[in-house]
Amino acid sequence: MDDFQSGEETAFVVDEVTNIIKEAVEGSIGGNAYQHNKVNQWTSSVVEQCLNQLTKLSKPFKYIVTCVIMQKNGAGLHTASSCYWDNQTDGSCTVRWENKTMYCIVSVFGLAI
Amino acid sequence: MADRKAELERKKARLEQMRRERKEKELSKTRNVGDDSKTSVKSSGSDASGAEPDDILREFGISPAPEGSPATPKKAAAQSQAVKEVEVPTSVSHTTPRKVRLSVAKVNETSIPPRENVSYSKETQTIIADPVDKDARGPWDYYVLVYDDANKSDDDNDLDFIENLEGSSSHAHQFRGHGHSHGHGHTHKMPHVEMVAPATTSEEQNKEHKKPVPELSEEEKKQILMSEGFQKFFDHSSRIVERALAEEVDIFADYSGKDSGGKDDEAMAGERLKVNRDFYDDKWSKHRIITSLDWSAQHPELLLSSYGSNEDATNVPDGVALIWNIKYKKDTPEYVFHCQSPVMSSCFAKFHPNLVLGGTYSGQIVLWDNRVNKRTPVQRTPLSASAHTHPVYCITVVGTQNAHNLISVSNDGKLCSWSLDMLSQPQDSMELQHKQSKSVAATCSSFLSGDANNFIVGSEECLVYSASRHGSKAGINEAYDAHQGPITAIDTHRVPGQIDFSPYFLSSSFDWTVKLWSIKEQKYLCSFEDNSDYVSDVQWSPTNPALFSSVDIMGRLDLWHLNHETEVPTASVVVDTNVALNKLRWHQTGHHIGVGDDMGRIYIYDVAENIANPKADEWSKFVRTLQEMKQQATEREEDSTLLGSAAPIR
Repeated sequence: MDDFQSGEETAFVVDEVTNIIKEAVEGSIGGNAYQHNKVNQWTSSVVEQCLNQLTKLSKPFKYIVTCVIMQKNGAGLHTASSCYWDNQTDGSCTVRWENKTMYCIVSVFGLAI
Repeated sequence: MADRKAELERKKARLEQMRRERKEKELSKTRNVGDDSKTSVKSSGSDASGAEPDDILREFGISPAPEGSPATPKKAAAQSQAVKEVEVPTSVSHTTPRKVRLSVAKVNETSIPPRENVSYSKETQTIIADPVDKDARGPWDYYVLVYDDANKSDDDNDLDFIENLEGSSSHAHQFRGHGHSHGHGHTHKMPHVEMVAPATTSEEQNKEHKKPVPELSEEEKKQILMSEGFQKFFDHSSRIVERALAEEVDIFADYSGKDSGGKDDEAMAGERLKVNRDFYDDKWSKHRIITSLDWSAQHPELLLSSYGSNEDATNVPDGVALIWNIKYKKDTPEYVFHCQSPVMSSCFAKFHPNLVLGGTYSGQIVLWDNRVNKRTPVQRTPLSASAHTHPVYCITVVGTQNAHNLISVSNDGKLCSWSLDMLSQPQDSMELQHKQSKSVAATCSSFLSGDANNFIVGSEECLVYSASRHGSKAGINEAYDAHQGPITAIDTHRVPGQIDFSPYFLSSSFDWTVKLWSIKEQKYLCSFEDNSDYVSDVQWSPTNPALFSSVDIMGRLDLWHLNHETEVPTASVVVDTNVALNKLRWHQTGHHIGVGDDMGRIYIYDVAENIANPKADEWSKFVRTLQEMKQQATEREEDSTLLGSAAPIR
C-alpha cells in the first residue's frame, strides 16, 4: 500500500509498522519449531505485541492486526485482501516470515480516524 | 386482590428505589466532578446530549476541541455545581467533518506454493549367481535331516558305533551324539537340519598329526610366492610392519603449553594454521596435479587423493588415486590405485567402506575396491554416448544407506545417476541446459545438505546454477550471475544446528573472489576479495557455521571466520611460493585441512581449536552477520541502480 506522508504524524508509515511487526514475530516465535499446542499462544502473543506497539505510537488510527501461522507440510496457501478507504491517510502492511518448520503472515491495517 | 396490592406496592417500592438511585447519582456526579475517573464521567456524559457539552464549554471559553482530560474536569468543578454535565470524553476529539475521499486499494496477496512430493522408482538388476562350485569348497554345504529319538542314547555307545561304521550315515549319528551332549533338553521328535562333516576315519586323523616337512625346489618356491594366498599374507603383514617401524613416540608432549596458547587469541595468531605433515610419493605423485581430495566417513584417518597425469614420464598410468593415512607416521600411501585416464574427481563411496570412485578425463567412471589385490579398477562405466564423453568433474554419492545413487556431472552438462551395483549403464541421465538449450559446462557441483534432489552447479561460463534432479522443475532452475571468471568450486552449508543455514553457499572463481550466496536470492550476499590470483577451492567447515577456508594458486591458504571479520581472512598462511594450491578438504572433525598442490604434494594443516570449535552463540551471531550482509547487499543494489539511472550526485 502506498503511504503518503501528508501531515507529520497522521499518515500510515509502512516501514515503521513493518519493523514493529518483525520485532513482534521474532520475539514470539523466532527460533522455535512448529508445535501445535503452542501455536495458540504464539498467534495471540504476536497480535497483542503488535497492537501494543502500534497503540504506543499514539497516532489517531484504528488498527486491525491479523496473524496466520502455517506449518510447513507441503500444502499451498493463497490469500488476498483489498480495501476501500482513503488512500492518502490509510494504509496496510503485510509481513511474511518463515523458518524451517512454519510460515507466519501478519497483516496490519491502519485506518485514520 | 391482595396479590395485586402486593404487586403494586412492590412496584412502587421499586420506582422509589430507582428515583433515589437517580438522585444519588446526580449528587455523586456533582461531588465527583473533581475526580479523574473517566468511567463515571463517561456514563454521565452518555446521558447528556451532544450539544450541551459544547455549549457549556463555550461558556468557559474553551474551544470545542479540548486538550486533555485533567484540565476540563477541574475547571468544571471550580465553576459551579450547577454544571451537571461533565467534560467530553477525551478519546474522540473534534467532530468537525473532514472531507474523505474513499477509493479501492490494491489487492494485497500472499501466496505459498505447495511442496511438490517428488517420487521416483528405482530398479536394480540382480546378477545371476554363479552355480556352486563343488570342488572348490569342502563338502560342508550338504544338509541332512536328522531325527531325534525319544530316548537319549548313551554318548559312549554312539562313539563306539561310529568307529565301526563308515559312510554318511555315521556322520548323522555322530552329530546326533554331539547334539545330545550339547543340548540337554533335546527331546523333540521333529527333524532338524544339520551339516554333514566329511568322513574322517581314525587312520586319517593319525596321518594329519604326523606330516613331515618336505623340501621345496626352486620351482615350487616361485609358485608359492606367486600364489594368491601368499600375496595376500605378505601384503597384509608388510603393511603392519611398515607402520610399526615408522612410529616414533613423542615423549616431549607438552600439555600445559597447549592450554595456555589456546586462551590468547592475538598472540597465537601465527599458530592458527600449522603444518602437521605432508604426503608425497616419489613414484606415484611426482609432477602430478592433485585433482581432488576426500576423507573417508567410516575411517576418519584415511584421505583419498586423485592425481592428474604426469607429463614427464611416459610409461606410467595417466590416472592415479592414493589413499593416505594420517594416524600413522609412515609416509607411503596405504593403497595405490591407477587407471588409464587422468582422474579429475574422486570420492569414497559413502556407504561402502571399501569402494573408491573416480571420474576421469575420458568420461569414464572407474571403481576401485581395496579388498582385492588389484591396483586397476574392478568396474568401469562404458565409453559411450549413453554415459559420459567429456571429463567428469563432479562425482558424489547421495541418498541413504539403502537408497543411494552415484551422481556424476561431466563437462558437457550431462548428469548421470548410477547404481553402484551396475556401472554398465546409467540408471538415469539428464542434460543440464539453461535457456535456449544452452548446455552448462559444469566444473563443480554440490548437493544441498540432506537433499538428494536439489543441487547447485558451477560452470565455465561464470554462472552458478541451481537445479533439481526430479520433479516438475527437473533441470536448471535459476542462474546466479556475478562472477567474472569460470567457477572453480562451490560448497553448500551443512553444519547441523538449531538454526539452519542450508540455503547459503560459497563459490570461488578465476576472478580472484569468493562469493557468499543464498539460494533464495539472485544477488550475492557478500564478496570476499582478499586474494590476488585465481581462487581454486573453497569449503565450509563441517563443525563451525561461520568458518570457511579457501586456497588460491599463489600457494595461499586462508581461513575466514565470518563472525570475527568479513573483509580479511582471520588466518592466512602461504604454503610455498612456488606451488599453486589446487584443492582443499576439511576433515570431519573440523580440526584438520588437507591441501593439495600442483606438484603432487598434500599438506595437512592443523586448525587451532579456539577457531575451529564453534562457541555456543556462534549460530545466533552468524544470523546477525548474515542480516548485516543482507542490508549491505540491498544498499549495494540501490547504489548500483542509482548509478545505472545516471543520478549525478547522491
